[in-house]
Amino acid sequence: MHSSEARSRSGIRFRVEWRLPSDPAFLPVVRGAVEKLCAVFGWTESEVRSITLAVDEALTNVIRHAYHKRPDGMIELICEEKEKVMEFLISDTGDAPDASKICSRAKESQAAGGMGTHIIRDVMDTADYRRSGQANHLVMTKRLKQSVEGK
Amino acid sequence: MKTSSRDQGNVRIVAVEGDVDLSTSGELRKVLFGALRGVKRLVINLGGIHYLDSSGIATLIEALKESQKTNTEFALFAMSPAVHEVFRLTHVIKIFQVYETEEQAVGGAGA
Repeated sequence: MHSSEARSRSGIRFRVEWRLPSDPAFLPVVRGAVEKLCAVFGWTESEVRSITLAVDEALTNVIRHAYHKRPDGMIELICEEKEKVMEFLISDTGDAPDASKICSRAKESQAAGGMGTHIIRDVMDTADYRRSGQANHLVMTKRLKQSVEGK
Repeated sequence: MKTSSRDQGNVRIVAVEGDVDLSTSGELRKVLFGALRGVKRLVINLGGIHYLDSSGIATLIEALKESQKTNTEFALFAMSPAVHEVFRLTHVIKIFQVYETEEQAVGGAGA
């Protein structure tokens, strides 16, 4: 059953909110949930893997760059079905990213770092960062399958 | 993540299983850097990897660069579609020797 069927029966849009510590041990838990969620919404296996990877890369960036691998930072992840997109909002209260380093790596570079933000931009339809007070917010969206197919 | 290693002549074969992500890529780096010592060729079996992120790709790039410093040949094999997709998204597949089977990777033919 895909989301369009589920929505036509319930009229309720999906929303789930997670709060997790900046401990990489929790990344597989979130990946598992996002993967299942994307499968329910009808994305192909390949798309499910890519979306899950992009969300994981965004969380990894928070752990690595906002909290410098400290496991005691707080991360919020909200996955919310909107009119035509699935929105993934990731918030943290760590350090602001260095804007000069976001996507600064050339795509064909052989450097070992800086690939996560490229993956996010390649996979998601939109990815917007904003700093609000002491918090970082990354909003990523992916068009829902029925929107892409014009159903 | 689990790794195992065996030697076949002067080729070392390292198999990687499980998830390679932020929490395990450091351990993989240590294993691969250690495995580069004392052999002519190091080949990595990626067939058991369930999940790979960009930190895992970065680790493989670092190991490749280290192999160039030590004049050790370095190759990958048994890439699943899921793992191949991460290589595609990170635009780095061209820098690696990639084979389908262990036999090809050990022999180094048809890269």
